[in-house]
Amino acid sequence: MSARVPSARLDIRAHTCPVTWVKARIALSRIAEGEVLEVLLRDGEPRENVPRSAEEDGHRVIRLEPAPEEGEGTWRVWLARGAPVEERTWP
Amino acid sequence: MALTDAEVARYARQLLLPGMGEAAQEALRDARIRVTGGGLSVAPATYYLAAAGVGTLWFDDPDEVKPEAGAGFALGPDDLGRPRGAALAGFARWASGLVTADLFRPGSRPTALLVCGSSPDVSRAIADEARLLQLPHVVADVDGQGGAVTSVPVGSPCYSCATRPGLGGAPTADGGATVGSLAALELILLLTGASQEPRARRIEVFRGTPLVRATARQPGCACAGPVAAGLAP
Ligand SMILES: [Zn+2]
Repeated sequence: MSARVPSARLDIRAHTCPVTWVKARIALSRIAEGEVLEVLLRDGEPRENVPRSAEEDGHRVIRLEPAPEEGEGTWRVWLARGAPVEERTWP
Repeated sequence: MALTDAEVARYARQLLLPGMGEAAQEALRDARIRVTGGGLSVAPATYYLAAAGVGTLWFDDPDEVKPEAGAGFALGPDDLGRPRGAALAGFARWASGLVTADLFRPGSRPTALLVCGSSPDVSRAIADEARLLQLPHVVADVDGQGGAVTSVPVGSPCYSCATRPGLGGAPTADGGATVGSLAALELILLLTGASQEPRARRIEVFRGTPLVRATARQPGCACAGPVAAGLAP
């Protein structure tokens, strides 16, 4: 289990908030702790919010860089899945 | 089956709520709820269940829509004289293009019940049926001061055990909206497993103030029998 090679890939360039983070969150829930999800996203709001939301949810951002070879304005982020958080519940 | 792009987009904000996530949303989509009773809570509850992503709603209410139905936002003048179940199914489809809503038919196999009886006696009869069928159910009672919502997971103290006399008074539309939306939420929490212990509980709303208590089995009640232990056929 290497943290250096993504085990899943997600393209959320066609989406806007909050679907961007929701799709990333679902994709993260489908990989094992320590595995990496590669996400292609647009510059601006998604580039700012998706990595921040991931860190707030206990995941690690291990790479964040422009990916012009994927298309103009595209960024790449690698998210390493953190330990599953204790399931939160309602009152 | 994983959520579709349309479902993720539709429920995005809900998917971010505590306790919610892909598995919980799928559980809602897979749920088949028999919605019974003609109480004032049924229309608001229907709206929230459909909007939250419950996959199938079956309406079990053959009575006609009458002018005093008290659900003006759900049932309009065109619905007068129609069977309430059919009118509510139409309302559910209006609330969400993703829900399957229809009349409850014999042989349909629901996974849970929402009981919105027009009186506690009506609700008790339906709740007892749900208990014997070993289906989780939530009962909404509306009275003149608000009302109460009783959650009955399988095997837990039954509605009769949980009920104590309300303050009475003619049910109000305000109480119906409050209790109906709360009943939908309680059922959603049961279906998704997102509620905390005690899951068998009763929420009494008195003039807008909720009081939550765990329900307890009354000595000698039939709900302590083999059905509660999961031994019945
Ligand atoms: Zn009982």
